[in-house]
Amino acid sequence: MEKSDDNMNITLIDEQIKNMELVVPNGESLVLNLAAFKGFPNTSISVKVQSNASFNGAFADFSSGSGKFIINVDLIGDGSRCDWHLSSLANDVDRKIFDTSVTHNAKNTEAEMSNYGITQGSSHLTFTGISSIKNGSIKTITRQVAKIIVFDPLSDGKCSPILKIDENDVEASHAAIVGRLNEDHLFYLLSRGISLNAARRLITLGYLKPVEQYFNDEKLIERIDASIEEGI
Amino acid sequence: MSALRKKQNMSTLKITNLHVSAKDKEILKGVDLSLNEGETLALLGPNGHGKSTLLAAIMGNPNYTITAGTIFFDNKDVLAMSVDERSKAGLFLAMQYPSEIPGVNSSEFLKAAINAHREKPMTLFEFYTKLKNAYKEMGIPFEMSNRNLNEGFSGGEKKRNEILQMKLIDPKFALLDEIDSGLDVDAMQIVANAIRDEQKKGRGFLVVSHYARLYDMIEPTRVVVMINGRIVVSGGPEIIQKIDSTGYEWIKTEMGIEIEKDEQPMNKVSIGVCATNARVNGKKR
Repeated sequence: MEKSDDNMNITLIDEQIKNMELVVPNGESLVLNLAAFKGFPNTSISVKVQSNASFNGAFADFSSGSGKFIINVDLIGDGSRCDWHLSSLANDVDRKIFDTSVTHNAKNTEAEMSNYGITQGSSHLTFTGISSIKNGSIKTITRQVAKIIVFDPLSDGKCSPILKIDENDVEASHAAIVGRLNEDHLFYLLSRGISLNAARRLITLGYLKPVEQYFNDEKLIERIDASIEEGI
Repeated sequence: MSALRKKQNMSTLKITNLHVSAKDKEILKGVDLSLNEGETLALLGPNGHGKSTLLAAIMGNPNYTITAGTIFFDNKDVLAMSVDERSKAGLFLAMQYPSEIPGVNSSEFLKAAINAHREKPMTLFEFYTKLKNAYKEMGIPFEMSNRNLNEGFSGGEKKRNEILQMKLIDPKFALLDEIDSGLDVDAMQIVANAIRDEQKKGRGFLVVSHYARLYDMIEPTRVVVMINGRIVVSGGPEIIQKIDSTGYEWIKTEMGIEIEKDEQPMNKVSIGVCATNARVNGKKR
């Protein structure tokens, strides 16, 4: 088990991403930046967040390969928060599964989980995850968004976010969208003289680039930028 | 002599016997129309008779199939061009319902659109200055250039954003599809001013609107009326006033043309989007 210090920042790249259990102590915050550029990290991470503490996780995934990445965030203290943002690019014959779950075990807890992905070639991308609100976790807010855009005829995506709510006094929302390039969107961009490749690039940037705002390391952001361009 | 040479060099959009279908239903049934650079042509007609279809077909919207006819722009075959090639050739369509495109940043989009029409990309400083001026002229807060394209824009903002794009791209011919719908009086004035500026540069316009108000402001040079997928009336601006005060019934009585009723299609349903947002107040179970 790793215990975080005050307002700790952890950045892990490729093979540094391993199974781990993290605890964010009372009143503190943990920023976890993950980036994968080589092999897909078959990993399970669990995070326990104590009272008035916050966990801010972001994962930029440009790896190749197949497997399952799991993150479970447990909001165990009153007023604890979780923010999770994932951007994943699946290429060739990748089969990637991301299971991102959050459990609200205390009052006044808040969670936002957003997962964005693009599938190309013959790849498959799956986003699953459960946002669970336990009995007694009043005034809890939970939001879960999963969006996958499917670029090529042989590629595919699947989103199945689940809400399990055992409390009345809460706010919960989820949105899941899987779709091929929208013809109307494409026509709009092309009608302004933008080529098909440039239009795909703009849409790809829109899905993958926003994760960068949650990263601290400028050099790592440049590397993510380069991977997005390479992926396009 | 110089006037003759000017006339010979004038850009022309020529549509001949155009037949267009959507979802196996024929909408345009033989449209003949030509538009010269410097002209502003008003296209009127009842709802559902093919005005928007004509504009969309000229721009190459894949939802419409051309079953017969030709469109030539300066003797180049428009129907053989891809959509982006049509834009690069100098055609622009301001859409009735501009798409909201999630994730696509407005200024990134505008930069790509401007540079698509240039051999060398514009410098960042030049782009920034041009963008800032255009936003100011159109009365749109510059901060909106950082938002996603059309996402969360009001109806009026979307329409002003279409004209902003027209100004930045600087086409030879602009096709405006109900650009005045959703605009308040001030916004209408801004849009009309922008159109007038482009008219002075000699641009050609094909303008679809139901209202005399916009036409009064931009003073079309010619007017055509589309009924049942064909152009049935052609003339001067006086036709706009006639339609504004008496509607289209006179076409039936004077010309014996039966006006087909507009059959509204069912609303599009989007499947695959699921969102809930519930707040329950009160006693616990």
